[in-house]
Amino acid sequence: MSAGAAEIVGAASPHVELRRVTKRYGSVTAISDLTLTVDKGSFTALLGPSGCGKSTLLRMIAGLEAITAGQCFIDGVDVSDLPPAKRRIAMVFQSYALYPHMTVRQNIAFSLSVAGQPKKVQNARALEVARVLQLESYLDRRPAELSGGQRQRVAIGRALVRKPEAFLFDEPLSNLDAKLRVQMRLELAKLHADLGTTMIYVTHDQTEAMTLADKIVVLDKGVISQVGSPLDLYNAPANKFVAAFIGSPGMNFFKVDIAAIDGKAASIVLPGGQKAEAPVRTDAADLRSAELGVRPEHLILVDPDDAAAVFGGAVRIVEHLGNSTLVYVDTAAGQLIVEGEGNLKVKSGETVGLKLNEEHAHLFGATGATL
Amino acid sequence: MSATVQRLEVTASPAAARLARLNRLDTVGLLITLVTLVGAIIWAFPLYWGLVTTFKHEYEIVRPGFQPWPEHFTFENYVHVLLQTKIGYWYINSLITSVAVTVLVVIMAASAGYAISQLDFPGRRFFWWMILGSFMVPIPALIVTHFIVISQLGLINTLAGVVGPQLIAPVTVIIYKQFFDSVPKDFREAAAMDGANDFQLLFRIYLPMNWGVTTALAIITFIGAWNLFLWPFLAVSSEDKMNITVGITQVHDNYGISYGRDLAVAMLAALPVAVVYLIFQRRVTQAIMLSAGIKG
Amino acid sequence: MIRSSRSEYLSAAVLMAPFFVIYAIFFVYPTIKMVELSFTNAPLIGPGKWVGLDNYFRLASDRLFSIAVWNTIYFVALSVPSGVLLALVIALGVNRLKGWLQSIVLAAFFLPYILPVSVVYRIWGWMFDKDFGVAQYVLAPLNGGQHLSVFRTVPLFMPAVAFITVWWCLGFSLLLFIAGLRNISSEIYEAAELDGAGRWLQFQRITWPLIWPVTVLVFTIQLILQLKIFDQVYLFTQGSRVDVNMVMVFYILRQAFQLNKGGLGAASAVVLFLVIVVLSVLQFQLLRARGQK
Repeated sequence: MSAGAAEIVGAASPHVELRRVTKRYGSVTAISDLTLTVDKGSFTALLGPSGCGKSTLLRMIAGLEAITAGQCFIDGVDVSDLPPAKRRIAMVFQSYALYPHMTVRQNIAFSLSVAGQPKKVQNARALEVARVLQLESYLDRRPAELSGGQRQRVAIGRALVRKPEAFLFDEPLSNLDAKLRVQMRLELAKLHADLGTTMIYVTHDQTEAMTLADKIVVLDKGVISQVGSPLDLYNAPANKFVAAFIGSPGMNFFKVDIAAIDGKAASIVLPGGQKAEAPVRTDAADLRSAELGVRPEHLILVDPDDAAAVFGGAVRIVEHLGNSTLVYVDTAAGQLIVEGEGNLKVKSGETVGLKLNEEHAHLFGATGATL
Repeated sequence: MSATVQRLEVTASPAAARLARLNRLDTVGLLITLVTLVGAIIWAFPLYWGLVTTFKHEYEIVRPGFQPWPEHFTFENYVHVLLQTKIGYWYINSLITSVAVTVLVVIMAASAGYAISQLDFPGRRFFWWMILGSFMVPIPALIVTHFIVISQLGLINTLAGVVGPQLIAPVTVIIYKQFFDSVPKDFREAAAMDGANDFQLLFRIYLPMNWGVTTALAIITFIGAWNLFLWPFLAVSSEDKMNITVGITQVHDNYGISYGRDLAVAMLAALPVAVVYLIFQRRVTQAIMLSAGIKG
Repeated sequence: MIRSSRSEYLSAAVLMAPFFVIYAIFFVYPTIKMVELSFTNAPLIGPGKWVGLDNYFRLASDRLFSIAVWNTIYFVALSVPSGVLLALVIALGVNRLKGWLQSIVLAAFFLPYILPVSVVYRIWGWMFDKDFGVAQYVLAPLNGGQHLSVFRTVPLFMPAVAFITVWWCLGFSLLLFIAGLRNISSEIYEAAELDGAGRWLQFQRITWPLIWPVTVLVFTIQLILQLKIFDQVYLFTQGSRVDVNMVMVFYILRQAFQLNKGGLGAASAVVLFLVIVVLSVLQFQLLRARGQK
């Protein structure tokens, strides 16, 4: 799963491109030979756990971090050595970085004022942007008087007023409470739909990435793990890392023995001894230790005596979420999470059987790559 | 029965003792507060006494006996001083030099503090260590060479000459540098993305975000410049170029000693800085803490 | 952040330049010149011949210099410990007050510090005035009924000036002590009270140890500050014998300005400079060691 093998999606030349970039901090190499492309008008998410390098990549695109080796292109132009102000991009910071001593209007218009635009122009453009973000009545307030969501919008407004080629977002929703986060997600989606400007969005929250992006780049320790649309990543993860990261509740994993491989199917032996067939999606013929991954919704609760049951065990915990039910079952394969209907009737302590939806099972080899 | 009684006695004792101690604490506490208040009154007395004396006629001042309040309130001392001395010159000189020192020190120190805090340039560390070390050097020791330099520049007996050596303010630079260091990096990056250059960053972001510090430093610099005695005393010889702190020591009345007038002119000298302090008490306190923090 | 080094250097140069020009003219050059001058026999203005350590030997044998040194030490010994301790005691009292009362009381103690030295000179000159000063009501009985001219009575001069200086400068130390006391969380005192510790014990075991770093800081700041004393001594000495009450800075000025011996003046300045620098470094190390503890 090396970076060089990343796909370039989209026929036209990419809007933003990091070509074979390396980032070194002294003797530590954070990112090595990574190539990343972003299409014009797309909403591309850089997704991964902390320390995976997603913020570093964003900041390299912004010009806030120097690129040790490699190049950065925006709209075909090599901007690798250009300072941030000259790259025609705008960034929304995680902390918003709103100037506390300036009003909302002054914050939004700051870049115009720096460029020496006359007051009239500044105020007009600020008003325009404020209207789009429903901030009109707050134009004369200071950031300290605003709520979290309003501050976020001011930060977006400040970026908006510059009419940039691309918007960069650095985990903008992580400082908001859960409900506000959902609301702002919708607003961001709407914004993208309205403007059509390229947006590059860094987050560690896979829900945000899944709901907002049309292309997700999953990063693992400075390396691209997989690039694809949300559903691609969900249904066809390229490796165990992506499979485990995407989806909530997460995928179940357990070791299996591969008895035989026959073309597109492998006969496997599950813990507990039951046999099953798992699809083989690549040409890899790696018969060594393998793991099977199966999502909670692809395990079905059945009677313990059901012939189709591949696992049996006691129910440990039942979580009723209303629209679905999560059941934690202790089996020979460890504790498995099963997702069922909202009105599923099962109690803790019950013995149940689990049926496997073989089509949606994923085999992972020793290196973690999908088989 | 007896056991219960005994137990009650035992538990009553510590509580009673605690209660007694609580009452005793109150008295001691009250005493301390009283002593403090009396101490404050005693401490303020000399200033009060000087002030009150300025409103008395001279004959009342030299009368035996202690009159805490003027029998006949009068402004004649002040009138005399305002009309018969060069106090007008002194006030203006003090005002000009103090304001000049304040403005120049703040701008220069903020600029230098910003440069050291935010910019990377050759010699940065060297300059910083030099500034850090320099606040240990006592200015009075340099007085002689300051005089030599100022006279070489031909600025003896000028206001510019008075201002010059006062512009050394390593502590101010250090304070600014520390405050600018504490501004989160995000602001710099956001402003840089908005296209701001370093001057715009300094004057539109960093300084405004630290306005309180600037006010505090400006006030204390002003007070320091106003009150300075040694250097202006050496650097200026003609009476109409003196600042007020020096000027009031030069009042030699042809009519002999006049306590009321001497004190009146002193009160006039102290008035501006006292007013500044009383209005900006908190800022002055803050500034003193900051500079002591640097030394500690 | 990506930025051109050149623009950064340029900005830095413009921003640093004013401060550094002043710094070079009024600090670096004077310091070097002072040291250089101390090795010559130059007058105040003008060139002189190199005389090596001659000036320093002269200082060592100059009776007046020893007087100046002794007086300076004497003055510091009188004013600093008492000033610091008094400030601590008053801080303990002021810290108990709240609200506007505290503000007023604090202002009463602090206001003197805001006054220029010449105003302090006038006020206390009046207080101690030989003929009509209000202090004579206290002093005269102690002097066998006769009014006392405090500043002309040699043994009384330094103590009087020290006393006045304490009155003048206490506010500064007071502020620092109050800040230090405020830093001690009240919970510690509450816990001690629950444990049965009385007021005195609380002071001994909690306040004193916790305020010790501040005490050291205040003490050393005042020490270094008061070594440079000149203004009050000069003012109160006016019209009487100067030599007896000479202090170091006064000596420097006398050599350089009154006797036009630039080299000698510079040498004495260097001595003062060294003393203060050594003490400052000691202070810095002392506090750092404490901080690490």
